[in-house]
Amino acid sequence: MVERRRPVKLVLRNVSKAFAGRNGSVTALEDVSLEVRQGEFVCLVGPSGCGKSTLLNLIAGLERPSRGEILMDGRPVTGPAPERMVLFQESALFPWLNVVHNVEFGLKQKGVPARVRREIALYYLEMVHLRKFAGAYVHELSGGMKQRVALARALAADPDVLLMDEPFAALDAQTRDILHAELQEIWAATRKTVVFITHNVREAVCLGDRVVVLTYRPGRVKAHCEVALPRPRQIEDEGLLAVVAEVTASLRGEVMKALNEELNERVEGHEPAKAGVLRRAVGALGSGR
Amino acid sequence: MNLRRLVFFGALLGLWEAAARAGFWPPYIFPSFSSVSRTLLAGLWDGSIVLGVVVSLRRILLAYSFSAVVGTILGLALGRIKALEDTVGSLALGLQTLPSICWLPLALLWFGLSEQAILFVTVMGAVLSITIATEAGVRSLPPIYLRAGRTMGARGLALYRDVILPAAFPYMVSGLKQGWSFAWRSLMAGELLYVNLGLGQLLMMGRELNDMGQVVAVMLVIIGIGVVVDRGIFARIEQRIRSKWGLLA
Ligand SMILES: Nc1ncnc2c1ncn2[C@@H]1O[C@H](COP(=O)(O)OP(=O)(O)OP(=O)(O)O)[C@@H](O)[C@H]1O
Ligand SMILES: [Mg+2]
Repeated sequence: MVERRRPVKLVLRNVSKAFAGRNGSVTALEDVSLEVRQGEFVCLVGPSGCGKSTLLNLIAGLERPSRGEILMDGRPVTGPAPERMVLFQESALFPWLNVVHNVEFGLKQKGVPARVRREIALYYLEMVHLRKFAGAYVHELSGGMKQRVALARALAADPDVLLMDEPFAALDAQTRDILHAELQEIWAATRKTVVFITHNVREAVCLGDRVVVLTYRPGRVKAHCEVALPRPRQIEDEGLLAVVAEVTASLRGEVMKALNEELNERVEGHEPAKAGVLRRAVGALGSGR
Repeated sequence: MNLRRLVFFGALLGLWEAAARAGFWPPYIFPSFSSVSRTLLAGLWDGSIVLGVVVSLRRILLAYSFSAVVGTILGLALGRIKALEDTVGSLALGLQTLPSICWLPLALLWFGLSEQAILFVTVMGAVLSITIATEAGVRSLPPIYLRAGRTMGARGLALYRDVILPAAFPYMVSGLKQGWSFAWRSLMAGELLYVNLGLGQLLMMGRELNDMGQVVAVMLVIIGIGVVVDRGIFARIEQRIRSKWGLLA
């Protein structure tokens, strides 16, 4: 594929992250190595709690790895910077600013003059089809609109890398489909490098050039699946199914591990009712449904 | 002003006037509304009440703006630095329980019978409320705002100015409002007790001259200032924040 010839943008080399918790330390990530090429759209999938958000925060520079190193363009990541913008699961827009001021925020921090800043902000709001809402306040927007504003805000800072942490998880299916289309369009136009986290295997295959499967705690890279399908793709495309099956098969074992672990905790914690439900779920998954 | 309120206050004033004119009590015990109004107008005309208002407002503005700046800075520091919260934070909470007029004897010993003493008492009324509210605002700040701000390049002072302070502002407003009302009360109490000039002193003068009309007129002025600041300034700020943040019921 084209991406093979592109330079490497992000390198994670043997990255581990442990958190000191109340009952001992939790190893969220262990020995994760990953390369992302410039302009590549990489999706990360893994069971809940496997360390996906942690991985993203590490790349963003919001957390420091316990071991290993993270490089961007060959230089170590030492802290957050606007060249790596994050889209959080909740939009994290600032409620004290209106839409256009939210989008301008990063530019203002860079010291871009007010008139230029406004022009850039409106350009990106146009890109996400929300120019009309430039003067609205955050609480006046729907969930989908918020995520679009957050996307415009991230793009306005003109980052090299977009880090997206389940940005569409809280949206209804129709809104999500529309945003999938918009995101692919914008990505094709801007050619940003994207690292996209999701629970949803179909979403991952629909959006990604490559899907990376993480194992359950501690998170490791379990598999890479290339998605060599033509774009733009839609989530219900038949062509996706083969790759979806491949990723799902790889993921299933990890989800079972996660459920089993929780099941044991429930039994120990004397919650037989919930344990029963979980046991049936694990059984169904194990039989390949 | 709605109609119901208008009728209520109209009736109240009418009742007052009627009760005073009925002559159960002598005017130096219970002055009529009309005589109070005459005293008020005369005081405004000859400038004595105007001077009192100006002097008192000048004092509160000085003390309050100082308190707002110091309280905000202190509150930000307490909210962000754990070591300060455990130490200075609990000291502030403790001192806050002391009615600030109780600082007056100490202030008199420190500063003598001076302008500084009354300003000190007024500052002590406001500064802790503002500090504590600011700290609460900083403490309840969702970490995601900080993360978002930092990834967009806000650091150092800019992080405080553009993220932490505006995010904490809804909390701060309640502290600023409470601080204002504590400061205003402390100032009036302080002026009553000793200071020359100011509304509090006009009140005491009315008492010494047995001029009940003046006493009530000055009380009305004090109430008026309180209402204007509360309704005209703080209520508007709160309303603005609520509509911006979408906190309307
Ligand atoms: N700040 C922290 N302190 C302590 N433990 C943490 C912290 N952040 C994450 N963890 C732990 O690290 C593990 C991975 O968390 P993370 O949020 O990265 O998971 P995730 O894969 O994003 O899950 P989800 O899909 O549910 O969002 C979890 O066990 C979590 O409890
Ligand atoms: Mg997560």
